[in-house]
Amino acid sequence: MKLVYRGAEADIYSGDWAGANAIYKFRKQLPYRLPELDAVIRTQRTVHEAQILHESKSAGVKCPFLYYVSPREALIVMQEIAGPRLKTVLQSSDWEKGSVPSKFGVAVGKLHSAGIMHGDLTTSNAIVNDEGVNLIDFGLAIRSVRVEDHAVDLRLIKETLVGAHSSISMAVLKSFLEGYAGVVGERRATEVNRKLTEIERRGRYARVE
Amino acid sequence: MKREPFVLGIESTAHTFSAAVVNRRGGLLSDVRDVYIPREGSGIHPTEASNHHSAIAASVIRDALVAASVGPGEIDAIAYSMGPGLGPCLRVGAVCARTLALSLSKPLIPVNHAVGHIELGCMLTGAKTPLVLLISGGHTMVLSCSSGVWRVLGETLDLTLGQLLDQLGRHVGYASPCGRRIEEEAGESHRYLSLPYTVKGNDVSFSGLLTAAKRLSDSGVPFQDVCFSVQETAFATTVEVTERALAFTGNKEVMVVGGVAANKRLAQMLKIMTGRHSAKLSVVPIRFSGDCGAQIAWTGLLELESGISVDPEAGGIRQSWRLDTVELPWRFGS
Repeated sequence: MKLVYRGAEADIYSGDWAGANAIYKFRKQLPYRLPELDAVIRTQRTVHEAQILHESKSAGVKCPFLYYVSPREALIVMQEIAGPRLKTVLQSSDWEKGSVPSKFGVAVGKLHSAGIMHGDLTTSNAIVNDEGVNLIDFGLAIRSVRVEDHAVDLRLIKETLVGAHSSISMAVLKSFLEGYAGVVGERRATEVNRKLTEIERRGRYARVE
Repeated sequence: MKREPFVLGIESTAHTFSAAVVNRRGGLLSDVRDVYIPREGSGIHPTEASNHHSAIAASVIRDALVAASVGPGEIDAIAYSMGPGLGPCLRVGAVCARTLALSLSKPLIPVNHAVGHIELGCMLTGAKTPLVLLISGGHTMVLSCSSGVWRVLGETLDLTLGQLLDQLGRHVGYASPCGRRIEEEAGESHRYLSLPYTVKGNDVSFSGLLTAAKRLSDSGVPFQDVCFSVQETAFATTVEVTERALAFTGNKEVMVVGGVAANKRLAQMLKIMTGRHSAKLSVVPIRFSGDCGAQIAWTGLLELESGISVDPEAGGIRQSWRLDTVELPWRFGS
């Protein structure tokens, strides 16, 4: 197995599972966290992530197939999806090609329609390939149909776009929202977007207009 | 030899009234402070704090000039914290700064208090464009600079770390700021009690944690165990979102600033985390981690060099002034 990514909470290895290319996600011990707290969080998140990943796949969301779970080792084995991260695509000059931002909106719309909040929708957690935009890393996902939770997902997307892709953020966001509204419906999209503005206003020192 | 300008900085966002003088050649020439201390068990009362500031403002500014051996006539610009902060407190600093600017006929420079923490931190630690963890009574934010603006990668959705510690301390009768006493109490315990661990995306939330901690304390659990558990939980969530941001940006420098940066357990956790990513951790020296005139004077100097100033007539205050709305010309390249 080969280490492909050292994330904040997990190490990601690429390997093989019954002849297929697979991703091994180990939630490593975080030595800065108190061991008893660390153990609980790692086990809980592993089990939870596997369940949500399975549910998302069943609901038709583009995401990896679940192959194997081991709560004791805090390990999940899943399908490896080939392709560049959305972050890389948005950093290239031809990011507008293939209406990627809109497809990202479609993927998130499908997830939300399935009653799932991703919880960590940065541009690193989406993989672009010929089939569209695939969502990965369901480590912070929860089951929720609440407008508030779906708006929190969009808020992180916006935060990431403005933080890491500032020059194109507004254009990407606009096309993302078109794709999103196409799946969840104009009415729901407006509702979620309105909630997003409300959440931003709750922010510390946010201008109240 | 070219004469380097002297900048006087005045800080008055919350409990601290401070004045400092800086200069490119001499660095920090002085930093004089006078801190309003609330009664035991209470927080900052804005009017009382501003009364305190009004009473000591003139002597603090004079002492800062004397300590720097700079006469009023030699000052080239007056910088002040325009916001964010408590209105009555900010107004005292703003009035002093406007008065000095008008009477000395020198430029008046508005400084965002949070930018001040970061820029002073960079100057003192030598960090260039770090990932910043700003943790104080007013802020809990993870920031990264791009195109001259400090962008927020994660922040608290409700209380700041400073408020969490202060409100927990006040619940048992301490006076704000309570961070040091809570750290001392926590150091006496190794008993962890489960508390809400809230990470939402790249944001943290402490309100549920505070409520649960108060309940634990009221139910007779030794306060040192509560302090230990609160620190372990709250700091772990904060370090977790900082690590997420670090993994995301790939930055090789992390700097921690703000009053809570003085906490040793937090610094230890950050040290372990940054070590795993081979990133360098800079912690602002304790003397300058909290509010001080130096942060305003130093940022004011950077603004002066970039030609930023404001007419005294427009030099008011901005109680709500988000850090990510401030453009910093000297950072356009980063």
